[in-house]
This record gives sequence, structure tokens and C-alpha cells, in this order.
Amino acid sequence: MITKEEIKGYIEGGLSSELVDVSGDDGQHFEAVIVSAEFAGKSRVQRHQLVYKALGSKMGNEIHALSFKTLTPEEWRKQAGA
Amino acid sequence: MDQNVLDRIKQIVTEHPVVLFMKGTPQFPQCGFSNVAAQALNACGTKFFAVNVLMDPEIFENLKYYANWPTFPQIYINGELIGGADIAKEMYEKGELQQLLAGVKQD
Repeated sequence: MITKEEIKGYIEGGLSSELVDVSGDDGQHFEAVIVSAEFAGKSRVQRHQLVYKALGSKMGNEIHALSFKTLTPEEWRKQAGA
Repeated sequence: MDQNVLDRIKQIVTEHPVVLFMKGTPQFPQCGFSNVAAQALNACGTKFFAVNVLMDPEIFENLKYYANWPTFPQIYINGELIGGADIAKEMYEKGELQQLLAGVKQD
């Protein structure tokens, strides 16, 4: 069974990021907030594709249900201040 | 990857302005994420063409290659991938999905 720490490790290994926060303790359902400067200027679809690329074939195999939000550092700060 | 199936997927998303590839049906979704995507489209009052990937093994196996997106559900509007459940929900909450669908010719 996969853990949130492992998912965090996979994402950080494939995507330079300021923050990867993964929650979920049942081994099945996970939620993540991912903050990366690489998301700047990219559409939502392109951002998700970057995260999926970092997860590679684990997505859909070991990882069944992962919900995530993608933010640039600027959007993240704006959201925190709101 | 099967090119014939990719061509079939292309035909589906070209023929129908709004397509949802999901697990189960809008009435009986068999996955929480698929349900979120169907609910978002329903809430916009839009008609959409739903494909139950659990009943179509070819699409189940090949859809991930079509737009480089490894998970279900997937929403296509005018042939373009809009995203999965997370993006549909976020766009709906911001009113962007309603706006996008308002400009789409209905099936």
C-alpha cells in the first residue's frame, strides 16, 4: 500500500517544487497541494500533466485516487493572504 | 497503444461538443471522481455525451494515450481536453465552466 510520504517523494523527484503537501491515510485516497514555479504560464491541463509525468506509471496503478491543486508560488501567496 | 481506437476516440470527441469519459453512467457513477465531473456538467445545465469506460475495454486501455492524461474521468469540449474531476470542480466553482459551456453548441 502506498503512503502519502511516497507520493510526496515521487512528485518532488520529478518536479521542482516549493511545496508538496499530501494528505490521506487510508492508502487509497489522497489529496495534494503542489506549488511550483514550473506551473507559471501553463494551463490547468498542462499543470496536471506535469504532475502526472512526475508520477509516471504509478498513476492509475499503485495510486488510484489522487486529487490535487496546482499553484504557482505567486498564486499560493495570494491565496494565503485571501 | 492502438491507433484504431485513438481514431475512434477522436471521432467521438469530434462528433459531440461535450463528452465525458467516466466510470459508470451519470445516473449510476461507479467512481467518486466520475461523479464529481458528471455533477459539474449537470449543474451547468448542459447536455453531454457520456462514455462508460468500464463497458468499453478498448477505450479504457487507450484513452490515456489520446491526450496524455492517465486517469478517468476526462471531459472534452469541442474536441479539446478540459481536464478531470479536480479541474472541472475548480472551473465550476469559479464560474468558468458555465461560461465555457454557454458558448458551446448543444448536442
